[in-house]
Amino acid sequence: MSVILKTTNLTKVYGNQTSVDQVNLNVKQGDIYGFLGRNGAGKTTTIRMLLGLVKPTFGEIEIFGENFFTNQKEILRRIGSIVEIPGFYENLTGKENLMINAKIMGVKKKQALDEALELVGLEHETKKLVGNYSLGMKQRLGIARALLHYPELLILDEPTNGLDPIGIKEMRKLIKNLATERNITIFISSHILSEVEQLVDHLGFIHEGRLLEEVSYHTLKLKNKRYVEFQVSNENKAAMLLEKHFDIFNYEVREDKIIRVYSHIGEQAKINRLFVQHDVDVSKMYLSEDRLEDYFTSLVGGGTIG
Amino acid sequence: MVNLLYTELLKLKRSKMFFISILGASVAPILIVVASFLHLKTKTNAEPILFEELFFQGNLYTVIIIGVPLYGVVTAYLFIREYLEDTLKNLLTIPVPRFSLIICKSILLFLWIMLLTMFTWSITLGLGVLFQFEGLSASLVIHSFRQFLLGGALLFVLSSPIIFITLWLKNYVPTIICTIVITLMNVMASNSEHRDLFPWAAAGDIATNSMLSTYPAMYSYMIIGVISVVGWVCTIFYFNRVDVN
Repeated sequence: MSVILKTTNLTKVYGNQTSVDQVNLNVKQGDIYGFLGRNGAGKTTTIRMLLGLVKPTFGEIEIFGENFFTNQKEILRRIGSIVEIPGFYENLTGKENLMINAKIMGVKKKQALDEALELVGLEHETKKLVGNYSLGMKQRLGIARALLHYPELLILDEPTNGLDPIGIKEMRKLIKNLATERNITIFISSHILSEVEQLVDHLGFIHEGRLLEEVSYHTLKLKNKRYVEFQVSNENKAAMLLEKHFDIFNYEVREDKIIRVYSHIGEQAKINRLFVQHDVDVSKMYLSEDRLEDYFTSLVGGGTIG
Repeated sequence: MVNLLYTELLKLKRSKMFFISILGASVAPILIVVASFLHLKTKTNAEPILFEELFFQGNLYTVIIIGVPLYGVVTAYLFIREYLEDTLKNLLTIPVPRFSLIICKSILLFLWIMLLTMFTWSITLGLGVLFQFEGLSASLVIHSFRQFLLGGALLFVLSSPIIFITLWLKNYVPTIICTIVITLMNVMASNSEHRDLFPWAAAGDIATNSMLSTYPAMYSYMIIGVISVVGWVCTIFYFNRVDVN
C-alpha cells in the first residue's frame, strides 16, 4: 500500500515552547491510523498543520504524493476533517449548515445532504436548530459535513470527545464502516487507546511533541500478547509435556530455562501440576498483565492522565 | 465567490443581529423627526423646519454619532462569528481561501451598511411625510438619498481599521470601545476648525456637504484613503498569516 500522508521533521515552535518536534508520520492508503497521545502531547497542533490551519515552523507535509504547501487547495478538497468539537452556525438547522459546505465545495448531487445526514442518523432532525443539538449530535453532524464531498482521507481529531459510551460505540462503528465500505483512509487522534484499539491498523504514539513510535496494530498485539511464563528445570521436557497433554503449540522457549505459553491462560495451575508430576521443577511462574493501555502508559512515561 | 457570498447571506437566516441593527439604524431619524415636531408644536413663533434640515440632521447624526458604533457592531458580528462559533477551521479546510473570505465578508458588510443607510433615509422620509414637514421635492429626495449613500459608503471605507481590530483581538469589547472612542472624538471635534483632519468627522462633513475651508478638501480625502488602505493591508496581511488555534 502506498503512503498517502507523510510528514518529514514536522515542527511547530510557539515562543520558547516546541509543541511538535520533528514528527515523521507515515499513513498508508486504506488504513485507519490511530494518533495517540495524552492531552497537550501535540496531536491537535499536528492535525492543524496537516490541514493548513497552523503554519509549521519547519518540516514538510506530503499528502496524496504531493507537497501540501504548494498544492494546499487541491489537496484539502480531497480531505474531510473534524478538528476538536466541530463548530456550527447555531441559528441554522443541521441541513442548512451542511448546505453551506455543499455550496462552497460545489457538491452537485442533490441527495448528498440527505445521504450524509442519513449516514449519521440525523435525517429526522431537519427542523431542529444546531443550537439545540446535543454534543453527540454535533459530533455526528461534523462527520456528515466531513463526508459531504466524498473525501479520500478523513482526519478526525478526538471525534469521541464528550460522547457517552453508547455514542462512542456508535462513532466507532461508523468509522469502521467508512473505512470498509467507502475505502476512506482515516487518521484519527485520541488520548484513550481503548477507544481506538478496536479500529486501527496502525498507531503513532506522540508525547511532549515527539513521535515515540509508529507501529502496526498487529505488531503491537504481538508485543502485548498475554502469556504465562514458567521457569523450569528442563525446558525441553516441559515443552514436550505441553504439546502432549494440552495440545499447546503456541509457546516460546526463552533464555534461562524460561518457557512462555501464549494460550490456555487461566490453566497455569493445571500446567504447573503437570510439570511437577513429571519431575519438572517450577522455580518461578508469572502471568503477564500487560495490555495495550499499559503499553501506552509505559511508553509515554506513566504519570497522571493529562 | 458568488456561492461564498450566498453562504454568507444564508448564515444571517434567523439572525437577531439583523433586526437589532435595523432598530439601531432607526434611532437617529426617529429622534430627529420627533424632536423637530415637538419643537414646532411647543415653541410659539418657531421657525418652520424644512425637509432639507431633517435630511441634513439625519445624515449627520447617522455618520457622526450612530453610524460608527452601529456599523462597528455589525462589522464585529460578521468578522468575529467564525471565531466565536468555531467555524473558521471548517471554512479554511473546505477550503475557502483566506483572502476570498475577507473579500466576501467585506462585500456583505458594504451591503449591510448601505441597506441600513437606505433604511435610515426611508424612515426620515416616511416620518417627515407623516408629521407633515414642508419643503419636500423630487430633487431634494434624490439629492438627500445620494448624500446618505455617500455617508454610508465613507463609513464602509473607514471600517477597515475596525475589521483589523476585530480580527486581531477576536472580541466584541475592543471593537465597541474603539468605535465609542471614535464617536467621542467626532463629538469633541465638532466645534473645531481642524475637524476635517479626523477621518470620521471628515466623512460626516463630506456626506452633509459642510466641509470647512481650513484645509483643502483633498487633505480629508487623502486621510480617509490612507486610513482605509492601512486598515485593509493590515487586515489581509494579518489574516493570511495568523494560525487558527
